[in-house]
Amino acid sequence: MKLSMKVQKKFPDFQLSADVALSGEQIGIFGKSGSGKSTLVSMLAGFVKPDAGEIILDGESLFSSSQGIDIRPEQRRIAMVFQQHCLFPHLNVHNNLLYGYKRCPVEYRTVNFDTLVSVLKLDPLLNRAVTSLSGGEKQRVALGRAILSNPRLLLMDEPLSALDDELRFQIIPYLKSVSEQFGIPYLFISHSLVEMRLMTDTVLALEKGEVTACTDSEQLARNRMGDTPVGYINLLKLDAMTERQGMCAYRWEGGEMLLSAGNSDTASGLFELSSKDIILFKRHPEAISARNLLECSVESMFQSGRKLGIQLTCGGGRLVAEIVPDAARELGVVEGTTVFAAIKASAFRRLSKTAVG
Amino acid sequence: MILSDGDLQAIWLTLRLAGVVTAILLLIGTPVAWWLAHSRSWFKGLVGAVVALPLVLPPSVLGFYLLLAMGPNGPVGDLTKALGIETLPFTFWGLVVASVFYSFPFMVQPLQNAFEAIGERPLQVAATLGASKLDAFFSVALPLSRRGFMTASILTFAHTVGEFGVVLMIGGNIPGVTRVASVQIYDHVEALEYSQAHRMAAIMLAFSFLVLLALYLWRSDNRKRD
Repeated sequence: MKLSMKVQKKFPDFQLSADVALSGEQIGIFGKSGSGKSTLVSMLAGFVKPDAGEIILDGESLFSSSQGIDIRPEQRRIAMVFQQHCLFPHLNVHNNLLYGYKRCPVEYRTVNFDTLVSVLKLDPLLNRAVTSLSGGEKQRVALGRAILSNPRLLLMDEPLSALDDELRFQIIPYLKSVSEQFGIPYLFISHSLVEMRLMTDTVLALEKGEVTACTDSEQLARNRMGDTPVGYINLLKLDAMTERQGMCAYRWEGGEMLLSAGNSDTASGLFELSSKDIILFKRHPEAISARNLLECSVESMFQSGRKLGIQLTCGGGRLVAEIVPDAARELGVVEGTTVFAAIKASAFRRLSKTAVG
Repeated sequence: MILSDGDLQAIWLTLRLAGVVTAILLLIGTPVAWWLAHSRSWFKGLVGAVVALPLVLPPSVLGFYLLLAMGPNGPVGDLTKALGIETLPFTFWGLVVASVFYSFPFMVQPLQNAFEAIGERPLQVAATLGASKLDAFFSVALPLSRRGFMTASILTFAHTVGEFGVVLMIGGNIPGVTRVASVQIYDHVEALEYSQAHRMAAIMLAFSFLVLLALYLWRSDNRKRD
């Protein structure tokens, strides 16, 4: 998918100006609330008319102020999944799914209804009223409905924001697999960097109506590490949990991680660990209260704001720790140095009971 | 027989008038209500005020101006003459035209509220799924605003049944042509036929109450189900 947007839009209290050329299948638009993400996406969908500029998708001009082109939303073949699922309450699940499919010209119908229903595990829901569905089920139906309209681009505007953490990370594999399986590129809009890293390759960052970066999601997370109170979020897939001395021992990349007792209700999962919760030692400490002490090698270092990010290789796994430059000098870290990383068992937070990503 | 032939004739004429007016207003009122619900035009307020005018205007004032307009020297009268149609005052269709004006806000305002309650988002979703504006109206907006349509239709019908002032100004009191139930009651009272007036009035009272009761019960039942 190739998308070029050169647009300007002025509101009484806000101005959006973007000049970007994007290509890829899984693209993210990242920014805080009020940064202009939704306005940009609304212009692409055709709901908001830019004051000036042009929008070109895969060589076709959707909007051009100079040529007087403004393709109507229903003719753009751009489907959208919103934060609030927006299912039609007067139709059951089956008829919601078919709404866009019936309106799609026959020559574009490549997504098979039964296959999609199977991929999204919607079979048992087909005859249900949408008002009786849970939040996660509703979002799966909304996704299925959008995919079945056979769009050439799928826009997902904060589709996970209304869901709790457990549901969010249950839905992500569906979002990814459906797009990949049916070959439909997507634009994923979110204010969550974790979602961006799990869902996208390339990310467009917006701030106060201006594009501030267009990079890969991992790089964006590293760039922002020093400026955010949460630091860089390491995402760890842990599995094969066993209980040991009142703690939970998980297997991680060939090694082991000890987590506090509150995590014993699942054998595996996706966990987050902040770069701020990793303490580095030059030598093996004699005694330490943190329950995890990993011997790591410094793979690389990067500057982020006033902080220094240390990319560590610990057995088969990788972690990012953050330290201040003074600490780096005292530790004498350079690429290839061996350090010891201490992590408290309570520093992990479970995002999902299933490993995602 | 509780009711005389004249009473029955008046009731039938009233129901026919209310039915025709409701049907016409559904056709005219729906696009006006849609426009009022979605327009950002500067003269939306002006149109809204004009639509609501019959709510506050004395029926005799509206009836007087309609009589002038539809009379042989009025613009509508000129038009009906040019089309070879009889002038509208003191005819059934004259009553229909007058009632359409008089009951206009009772159709438009509940519909406008219903359309506004749906919001833009379901229509945007429908557009991204390939539905044109007209398609989205019939497949999404109409089913979602069915409660508003029901309320608007019932209020319009009931309000037309209860009309008196405008009907008397435009239709007069011609049996079988313009003498509707409210005028029939007036006639009975004028003729000191209080028992007949009582019967007709009781029927009107019971009808109005039952219609409103049915509407409120239906609304609360729908709310529970939602």
